[in-house]
Amino acid sequence: MTRIRKQTLDGKIETLILAVLEDGPSYGYAIVKQLNRRCDGILKLGEGTVYPVLHRLEEKQMISSKWQTAENGRPRKYYRLNRKGHRAFAENLRQWRMLASVMEKVVGSCASILPKPQLKGGII
Amino acid sequence: MSRILEKYLDHVMVYADRDERDSAEIRAELKDHLLKKTADLESEGLSHEDAVFEAIEDHGRPKTVGYGLRKRRWIDVRTQGTARGFVAIGPRAVGTFAIGGLAVGVFSFGIAAIGVVSFSVVGIALLYCYGMTLAIAPAGLATGTAAVGLMAAGHWPCGLVAVGPHALGPYVQYPHASHMPGQAPYAIAYAYALMHEYLMLWGGRAAPHALHKLIFGIVMAVGSALCWRAFRSDQRRIGYTLLRF
Repeated sequence: MTRIRKQTLDGKIETLILAVLEDGPSYGYAIVKQLNRRCDGILKLGEGTVYPVLHRLEEKQMISSKWQTAENGRPRKYYRLNRKGHRAFAENLRQWRMLASVMEKVVGSCASILPKPQLKGGII
Repeated sequence: MSRILEKYLDHVMVYADRDERDSAEIRAELKDHLLKKTADLESEGLSHEDAVFEAIEDHGRPKTVGYGLRKRRWIDVRTQGTARGFVAIGPRAVGTFAIGGLAVGVFSFGIAAIGVVSFSVVGIALLYCYGMTLAIAPAGLATGTAAVGLMAAGHWPCGLVAVGPHALGPYVQYPHASHMPGQAPYAIAYAYALMHEYLMLWGGRAAPHALHKLIFGIVMAVGSALCWRAFRSDQRRIGYTLLRF
């Protein structure tokens, strides 16, 4: 069974969140739901761990936030990508594609030594 | 709102340790998340109690979430909980320079200290450890009443090179020996042993002995107070921060 280790994801969660926000403004809970849905069960995020990353991105001025009133009348904080965030995401994507391509070329041929992976979600 | 949720948020905010304005915002944001999740789970058929429990469980441990939300600091000083920063001072301190009841850092000073270089009552350090009672330095020099290390100096030293009245090891040297050993490690260990002896064990003259007692007393008093804090519950925040990063 294959589990994605936390170390493997270090530094990548920012890119995952930027990818979700690339689709449009969103708030914490919706971002987590979207991430879990897109990860297809392979990765299950500890929901509270998303907020430190969101705040860090905001500090780096890659995203900006705005409080709005939700449909239930509660205040809700919406995040949206700004120009710096768009650029960072594009760069991260480019880097990731290059890395994936290199990894595939170098270790792809060794994949036959592994049993067929059965993917399982892991909480990080 | 459920009291359990409120309590959970209280815990998160204790660890997050943000100023009042930030704290209110973060709390509101997390509260919205948990209430929305609870409502979603209830709409899936879970009882309110189960939904709250699952929402909290999925959100993560308060300590993990809270520390994630804490701002990085150059200097973190607190009287309760764990201080984390480049310079950390507190009952428990983690940092490059850590000072506290229990200190973990590159340079650590405390009642109990773990680090690369440490000064403590009981200490473990990679390269140099001074421990008033016990010092352990597996890859370097340990000086203390009882010292264990590659080189050890003290009253009961044990090491590859050991210097002291009750030295134990393949290369031992007793401080009262008349000749000074030729090799550098001996010389270093011997120098520390002499200093240690002078200050701690026999204290030949009255002044250094009294001074040592005073320093020891102050360190013990402050250290004990910090230890007492360290082992008390850190659920309530009464800490403060001098400078923020």
